[in-house]
Amino acid sequence: MSAWHRPASLTEAIGLLAEGGVVAAGCTDLFPATRRQALSGPVIDLTRVAEMRGISETRGGWRFGAAVRWSEVLSAALPPAFDGLKAAAREVGSVQIQNAGTLGGNLCNASPAADGVPGLLTLEAEVELAGPAGMRRLPLAAFLAGARRTALAPGEVLVAIHVPSHAAAGRGAFLKLGARRYLVISIAMVAARLVVKGGRIDRAAVAVGACGPVASRLPALEAALAGIAPEDAAAAVSEALVAPALAPIGDVRGDAEYRGVVAVELVRRALRGLAAEGMR
Amino acid sequence: MPDVTPLPAATPIRMGSNAGQPRTRADGLLKVTGRATYAADNHPAGMAQAVLVTAAIARGRVTAMNVEAARAHPGVVEVYTPANRPELALEPDAKPSFFSKLTETLQDDTVRYEGQPIALVVAETLEAATEAARLLAPQYAAETARVGFDLAPYAPESVGFGFPIEMSKGDIAAGLSEAASTTETVVETPPQYHNAMETHAIVAEWKDGKLYLDTPTQAPGMSAAGFAAWLGLDPADVVIRSPFLGGGFGSKAAVVGAFLLAIQAAKLLDRPVKLALARHQMFGHVFHRGATRQTIKLGMDAEGRLTAIDHHTTAVTAAFEEFIEGASGAARTTYAAPAIRASHDGVRNDVGVPGAMRAPGEASGSAALEIAADVAAEAAGLDPLEFRLRNYAETDPMSGLPYSSKALRECYAEGAREFGWAGRPLAPRQMTDDAGMLVGWGVGTATFPCPMFGAEARATLRADGTAVIETALIDMGQGSWTAMAQIAADSLGLDVEQVEIRGGVSDLPDSGVAGGSGYTATLGLAIDNAGGDTIRQLAEIASSDPDSPLHGTGNTRVVARGGRLYAQDDESRSESYADILARAGRETLSGEGKGARGENDANDHSFQSHGAVFAEVKVDPDLGQVRVTRLVGAFAAGRIINPRMVESQLSGGMIWGISFALHEGAEMDPRTGRILNRDFGEYHVSVNSDAPSVKVLTIPEEDAFVNPLGVKGVGEIGVTGTAGAIANAIWHATGKRVTSYPIRLEELLDL
Amino acid sequence: MKSIPVSTTVNGDAVDFVCAPGETLLDALRNRLSLTGAKEGCGTGDCGACSVTLNGRLVCSCLVLAAEAEGAEVGTVEGMADHDKLHVLQQSFLDHAALQCGICTPGILVASKALLEENPEPTDEEVRYWLAGNLCRCTGYDKIVRAVQDAAAKMRSA
Repeated sequence: MSAWHRPASLTEAIGLLAEGGVVAAGCTDLFPATRRQALSGPVIDLTRVAEMRGISETRGGWRFGAAVRWSEVLSAALPPAFDGLKAAAREVGSVQIQNAGTLGGNLCNASPAADGVPGLLTLEAEVELAGPAGMRRLPLAAFLAGARRTALAPGEVLVAIHVPSHAAAGRGAFLKLGARRYLVISIAMVAARLVVKGGRIDRAAVAVGACGPVASRLPALEAALAGIAPEDAAAAVSEALVAPALAPIGDVRGDAEYRGVVAVELVRRALRGLAAEGMR
Repeated sequence: MPDVTPLPAATPIRMGSNAGQPRTRADGLLKVTGRATYAADNHPAGMAQAVLVTAAIARGRVTAMNVEAARAHPGVVEVYTPANRPELALEPDAKPSFFSKLTETLQDDTVRYEGQPIALVVAETLEAATEAARLLAPQYAAETARVGFDLAPYAPESVGFGFPIEMSKGDIAAGLSEAASTTETVVETPPQYHNAMETHAIVAEWKDGKLYLDTPTQAPGMSAAGFAAWLGLDPADVVIRSPFLGGGFGSKAAVVGAFLLAIQAAKLLDRPVKLALARHQMFGHVFHRGATRQTIKLGMDAEGRLTAIDHHTTAVTAAFEEFIEGASGAARTTYAAPAIRASHDGVRNDVGVPGAMRAPGEASGSAALEIAADVAAEAAGLDPLEFRLRNYAETDPMSGLPYSSKALRECYAEGAREFGWAGRPLAPRQMTDDAGMLVGWGVGTATFPCPMFGAEARATLRADGTAVIETALIDMGQGSWTAMAQIAADSLGLDVEQVEIRGGVSDLPDSGVAGGSGYTATLGLAIDNAGGDTIRQLAEIASSDPDSPLHGTGNTRVVARGGRLYAQDDESRSESYADILARAGRETLSGEGKGARGENDANDHSFQSHGAVFAEVKVDPDLGQVRVTRLVGAFAAGRIINPRMVESQLSGGMIWGISFALHEGAEMDPRTGRILNRDFGEYHVSVNSDAPSVKVLTIPEEDAFVNPLGVKGVGEIGVTGTAGAIANAIWHATGKRVTSYPIRLEELLDL
Repeated sequence: MKSIPVSTTVNGDAVDFVCAPGETLLDALRNRLSLTGAKEGCGTGDCGACSVTLNGRLVCSCLVLAAEAEGAEVGTVEGMADHDKLHVLQQSFLDHAALQCGICTPGILVASKALLEENPEPTDEEVRYWLAGNLCRCTGYDKIVRAVQDAAAKMRSA
């Protein structure tokens, strides 16, 4: 590492980045991946950039600065739609990791097993990017281009994550399966959010992670859930409705077939849990 | 360099005599305040930092390294590669001691396994050395790696440390063919890496013709001799300071090449050098538990009594060096049968050399044999505990020798009672909890031998009546600072607060090897003998002194207690140590002692610790997720010196058993031979939440033969039995037989 | 490579040092300030042996750059005892034999202290969850939980 910069503003950050360097936003992935000090060139730490800090309710919904740490998500006063995101925050790693790792880092690292992604997908999250060419917004699904790949252009940074008001409705849930009780990289994970009106599911959003290069929503299942009673939701889940959205691989943590099976079961459980929490 | 300071007196809790009391840890205060000094905590003036560069392929050659770029990096002092390798007094492939293994000291450009040292970078700071190591950017010519069991097996020279590859008794073929029923069980165990929380580290400093090393070692004397042999030094000129180890588990006994490189760098650069391995470098260069594939054939009569045990292990060893995990040894020591065969062969993989890891042989062997025993119990329609009782070995199963002591029956009974084993349904998949989890119970037999390796100690009484024990004692967590002081105090007739232990440095009397669960027995005996020798001399002085109340008692007719000698037949005649010494004009009085197994003892008795482990698991029927919810272990291990430390050792061993069953195992890429999970993120060991409440029972056991102290050993036995008990509980919960460790979630579902 | 001057507070004492850009807080504590209580167990944030608090936040100091300590308050195991008087947690770990080799102990003590500051009355499950990031290879987990609970009870009644 030749230099370490900690810009206070977005303009400053983009200016530094134009000169080249590695972006850091919590270092919980960066240091392990690079054997810590062995980073060539300058490092630009974004955690002090004002525009990337804080969680706030805006006119259009909710805004999460990209440098918001997982522990901040956990302690924030958020509507029940964010319960899934909070549950993910609790399992993103140890307390020490939650206290350092950031939402933006999780998304930009773009691991297929990124804990934050399924919950944010069910929250219809959009990402706000800034770079030399100005600002732009993308749906999260479009931002995540593949395993370890994002739509970030050279010199561009993730500034914030936006959840539109309409998606901040209902209640969310998140389940993660690993080989050990805590501190695991997911074998499979599921986020779900249900909006219930008059005893029926008005809108359902369900996403599965760690079962393909990127986490993905389950549109067929979501359509099937619309209009039914929440307590019937788990029974409506079938492999046929889940499998098409998945492309699981076998690896150290679990084989592909197993991932497919447990993904279905985790979806059922997430929905059952939401029904039990009294969606009416 | 700072001297190793003597430990402060233990937290004063006195309850009667010393041994047998649950004294708190003598070294505890230093440890909870962060002041206990581990090797890498040393930072002598002028010290340079070294970083080891290790191979990123499993087999092939290093074709190029950008040494110039690394050397040119600011702050870099020197870069060592095979081109400028410092000369050793011995060939790198020499094996100066019985425990030595081939090691790598940059002898050539060959890569024999991933993680092998290929260069050493020394710089002013760790950051500079790390950056220069990156700049080396090694290039390789990789060859196809040899991975796994399905390679041509060969007949090894020996198993473990010098055991024959095959031992047998009786007619195996007849025992199997005449059996009422037979079972065959195949179980695989993965490569496991010790991963002590303290990575291997060394600070080397040459001063006044001597070599001072701050480095963790389980065997200071042997390590000093090993370093001396490779470096062409008089062993007396190598001083190892190793007061605390951050865990060892068998990985910190033998000399490794990386340490030799750091020492030579310190000599050539004429300044102290520190080298601490990175966590990922713990997967290769510093030993591991080799993988096994075990095939166990059992024959039984109509009542479920074993007629034959045929246990064969194929063990993976390194392509260039041999260490065979003696897993079939479990067949020799666990159950009775008229015919037993314990055999091994090896296959060579491109891996670092395996070695002893906590309960070497027994852990892997018991993990498989206990599954096989349950398969047989099922075939016989017997409760698993009843099956084990029916096949109880009253004498050593292989040699037929009587046991020096064996309270295993009591372990089974007490463990079963504590666990609530009675009423366990015979068939699997019968129990569920309120949440719909499948519940299962399993049992495993634990056993581990009681070796003694030889140790020496010196006891010195001081003019004020207090004493000091000198021996190169090390403590890797087992509590030897504490337990040895208790033994010493008893042998000297003193209160434990009056005994100082001076240890942790290799230039003291050789403390032997903290391994094989034999440290307390061996070093404890040496200390006991040293104390006894001192008291004998003191009694001699008193007895021959006309002015002493003990005049004429002779040295065998006195009792040492509370800092005084008493005449055995007349306790009104007594005198304090201080008075005896003062009158004799002695400032100090020293005695010496050795600890070792008696020469013929092993011809008369078989020495084993025993135990029974009971496990409850809950398995998610839809996800295959396993939780160990209860664990009860009952152990008989002879005399217990410190119940508090012993409980920690046993419960820690049992949690290692959980880790063995459910978590641990290196995953090798079958094409490249690289380990896919070389960090704590993916090489899983149990975390706090995986560990259930563990109940440890110690069963009283008096042993007049194992050694004069009656101490057997507890460091490793907790691992044995536990993995098998968990696998068996999983079968009981799910009906699925485990065939390989660690147990994967997907194996427990009907996919 | 430019050196970075850092002014920080460690265990209540003002401290100034100069570090390299890539230097971790762990290395600065150990090598520059001679505070060797925090250990490097993995360098990847997976083991917790290097746990310290940074402005009250429990972090792995191997994942924090030394330069980030500028203007911050750092807490390490060396700051837990009040001179000769042990912190309740330290005494409790001794009493419950909640340590063996001891190398993970400083990190676990710092993490436990942070837990009890946030949650003075944790359940066993909460203790186990909170300490999941602190590996102990001697695996004295059960005793650690008991020691933390006992200390918590003592601190509540103090």
